[in-house]
Amino acid sequence: MRKSLKRLVPFLVCLIFVFIFLFPFLFTVSTSLKQPSDVISTQPRFFPNPVSIQNYRDMFAYLAFGKYLANSLIAASVSTIISLILGSLAAYGLSRFHSRLSTFFMYLTLMIRMIPLVCISVPIYSVINKIGLRDTHIALIFVYASIGIPFVIWMMMGFFDGIPRELDEAALVDGCGCFGVFFRIMVPVSINGMATTAIFTFLTGLNDFLFALLITMSGTKTVPVGLSEFLTEYNLQLGPMAAGAVLFSLPIILISFVIQKKIVKGMTMGAVKG
Amino acid sequence: MRKNKKMLIFFFLPAGLMMFMFFLIPAVKLIVDSFFKYNIADISQKSFIGLKNYMDVFTSEKFALCVANTVKYVVGAVGIEFMFGLLLALMLNVGFKGSQIMRTLMLTPLMMAPLVSGLVWKYLLSDQFGIINWGLCRLGILDNAHAIMWLSDPKVSLISCILADVWLNTPFIMLVLLAGLQGIDPTYYEAAQIDGASTIKLFYHITLPLLRPNIVIVLLIRVMDALRSFDVIWAMTQGGPNFSSEVISTYIYKSNVRFGQVGEASAMAVIFMIVLLLLAWFFMKNVWKLNED
Repeated sequence: MRKSLKRLVPFLVCLIFVFIFLFPFLFTVSTSLKQPSDVISTQPRFFPNPVSIQNYRDMFAYLAFGKYLANSLIAASVSTIISLILGSLAAYGLSRFHSRLSTFFMYLTLMIRMIPLVCISVPIYSVINKIGLRDTHIALIFVYASIGIPFVIWMMMGFFDGIPRELDEAALVDGCGCFGVFFRIMVPVSINGMATTAIFTFLTGLNDFLFALLITMSGTKTVPVGLSEFLTEYNLQLGPMAAGAVLFSLPIILISFVIQKKIVKGMTMGAVKG
Repeated sequence: MRKNKKMLIFFFLPAGLMMFMFFLIPAVKLIVDSFFKYNIADISQKSFIGLKNYMDVFTSEKFALCVANTVKYVVGAVGIEFMFGLLLALMLNVGFKGSQIMRTLMLTPLMMAPLVSGLVWKYLLSDQFGIINWGLCRLGILDNAHAIMWLSDPKVSLISCILADVWLNTPFIMLVLLAGLQGIDPTYYEAAQIDGASTIKLFYHITLPLLRPNIVIVLLIRVMDALRSFDVIWAMTQGGPNFSSEVISTYIYKSNVRFGQVGEASAMAVIFMIVLLLLAWFFMKNVWKLNED
């Protein structure tokens, strides 16, 4: 009896919090399925009645959602690939070739990670303008890759440091060059860690708002920027905003449930390592 | 040794170049800008004014207000997040039936873009159509559904932003602390229980000391993040009404992009950057203890 009570209290507390954490999203889903007049009712109800997909129609009418989503996905995925490759190479160098220079590079990388992005966002914008990349996909890709690189270096260094040096020495003796060691040993051994790192780099790019807001114009706008335009002082379109938010977030939430082990590991590792 | 250095540079160079282009050059440009006065009408005209921008920032009441708001925001949000996060980690660690599924469901806020969360909370807290006021009214806590103007009352707006931040980030603290709890060797508890220690004693003398590294690190990460947070506040209030929820990051952005005060905004950004880097440096030296070999 006492034992079951000891489990009942945590169960109930957690249940309440699960409800709190899920409620805003569930309410957004239900809002997106209400008919437009019910969305702005002063007597809000939780369940949509009648169910309507008018908000989704309106959202697609106001917003080039497909195009924005493609922009978001292109920027996030290409930048992830770039930062993963460049970051892992750098991490390999830092992990295997120690010197005072490598310590300096390590501190530099960490310091760069700590720079508040809002401080340098406008100067980054002028650098982008100077090199003629305004309103291009490449601009966002470069910026997100640069933000991702310090994170990748930090994460991958943790994985590479855990690989015994005897492995690369053996490969060197067998006639592998340094690149051979990197591609045939480091990458395959730490592929799980790389996947975890990639997920987070991807999400950072996908969820970014600040840079997309500054750098993109009509041609390369991303979903967060598009959605933010539904809710301003001059414009209040709650229904379409909810519809867009659901289409953008639901796939990520569902995928995260499937790969939650990787996500939990990445978060706790990234945290414990800094 | 020589060869080592060459290889290091070779592997680090491509990543280093990217960071140089998009972090270091902008940072240098920022510092240069902070010594100039820009003509608002024609941004290409600028004149060197030395430290005047810095003097203006340090004597500006608005900047002081933003600093105060930022401190309130960070202390409030991270404090509450830590309390809830620790509570949830302890509860989930009991390992009841369904605790795995509950932990997974609690990841939901972390998977939403901060900006989207901000927009959703703006809707939930709306004083016209918001379900939160309506719910509080139904429960009898409020006497009418417009009693709390979450976003348009200067006294409450910052608290509303903190509320959204707490919702968004508590799961992260929970995850890191839970990982720490799961790493504690159960034999400690068994030994102490044999000696007759109470649950509260177990918590203070075993759980807390062993969880300390995780607590320190998760608090540092959250403090650094909360200091820089922009998206949620921007989506909910844009710093308003009347600067009541303006934090340093939104104010820097506004001064730069909206008001065109490039010089002053740069000076603020430089000060903010230096303070954060010093904090980070202090943490790295004392807490992370980078292995230097």
